[in-house]
Amino acid sequence: MNTPGLRLLGAALVALLGIWAGLKAYSVRRAHEIPAVAVPAGVASAPNRSDGAASEAAVPHPLVPARLPDFSLRDLTGKSISISAWSGKSLVVNFWATWCAPCRREIPLLKTISAEWAGRDLKVVGIAVDYPDKVKDFAGRFKIDYPVLIGDQDALDVAAKFGMASPAFPFTVFTDRRGEVVALFLGELHRPQVDFILSEVQDLNQDRIQLPEARRAIADGLQALAEKQAG
Amino acid sequence: MQRTQATLLSLFLLLGAAGTAHAKPWWMRGIESNETDFLPPDVAFRVAARIDGSALKVRWVIADGYYLYKQKFEVKAESPDLLVSAPQLPAGVVKTDPYLGTQEIYTQQVEAVVPYTRIDAGAHPIQIKVTYQGCAEAGLCYPPITKVLFPNAQPALVAPNVPPYPWESIAITAGAFAFLLAGLVLRKGRKLDVPA
Repeated sequence: MNTPGLRLLGAALVALLGIWAGLKAYSVRRAHEIPAVAVPAGVASAPNRSDGAASEAAVPHPLVPARLPDFSLRDLTGKSISISAWSGKSLVVNFWATWCAPCRREIPLLKTISAEWAGRDLKVVGIAVDYPDKVKDFAGRFKIDYPVLIGDQDALDVAAKFGMASPAFPFTVFTDRRGEVVALFLGELHRPQVDFILSEVQDLNQDRIQLPEARRAIADGLQALAEKQAG
Repeated sequence: MQRTQATLLSLFLLLGAAGTAHAKPWWMRGIESNETDFLPPDVAFRVAARIDGSALKVRWVIADGYYLYKQKFEVKAESPDLLVSAPQLPAGVVKTDPYLGTQEIYTQQVEAVVPYTRIDAGAHPIQIKVTYQGCAEAGLCYPPITKVLFPNAQPALVAPNVPPYPWESIAITAGAFAFLLAGLVLRKGRKLDVPA
């Protein structure tokens, strides 16, 4: 230890010891912080790395598109169908799942809408985010007579294209015949709301109003309907 | 009223709001546009777990207008040394839906008692994975939610103490000592030129 080289080596070793201890402390603390964040205040578990909600908070959600995005999913027979198969028609694209009670409740209304608009420029399309076997069984029992597309992750990807990256069900997208997204309705549909939205879609299709005007009218109309129901 | 809150997402399609509002999750857009939307799932259903003797107690607090399905509850062990029994749940409220049949549901709150045993005397922190699924009365259902919880011994709804970090104080002390020692080692043998 008398030479300057040995002294420098000794100093370097103790400095390395200090750095190692600091890094160790930092890593241990980080490891402790994960459960501390996951169970804040012992009340509610916030998402952590092991569940999907964590990434949901971190991943930016896409915009609700101005126009109907292009996508393909399999139908009840397993055949891949593009949504563009109905281009030129107004669409009522209903996202649902068999385990979802309000989704099931609105199926008869969607069947009625589909029947009433048969042969005209509007199509109801169901997108089931579910297991194909369950959907086929359900569609048979409920005699769903409008097109139903099915998917799991691929259907979730489609939902994300509509700005619903972590979707709850049901939700329904309305487009005009040009493929412009006119409304996205979250929750169970009821007849008054559907009729109101479709009347605006019709006005759009016949160029009686412009898209911004239709969107505002739908927003105001739904608000009025909701207040009427609540009151 | 919930339906009122629920059905107005189309407001966000107003062109004026499109620029910024849509970058947020769907349940926040309502706030953005001064509307009240459906609650995000973690707010509609808050869950916490604690250790209570030989059982874990998992408690869900359910927002008004929301409910959880009894048959959708699952609790599994995540720690390698943990064995859990099936959760014991109280009787729920019977809800009959013509399109989904009869189900037992919980509103407001529910607590599951989960007996557990550990096979290596606690070498690992207790972790459990809980799954649950629920809906809003206004007509919206959330997909099954799965979370990993770290039950603690604190009473429910009381903030736990911040866990101690023993390595932190050791490291600070070691770091300070290391710098002192390094200084001493470097200084050894040096002589200061002291003016006469």
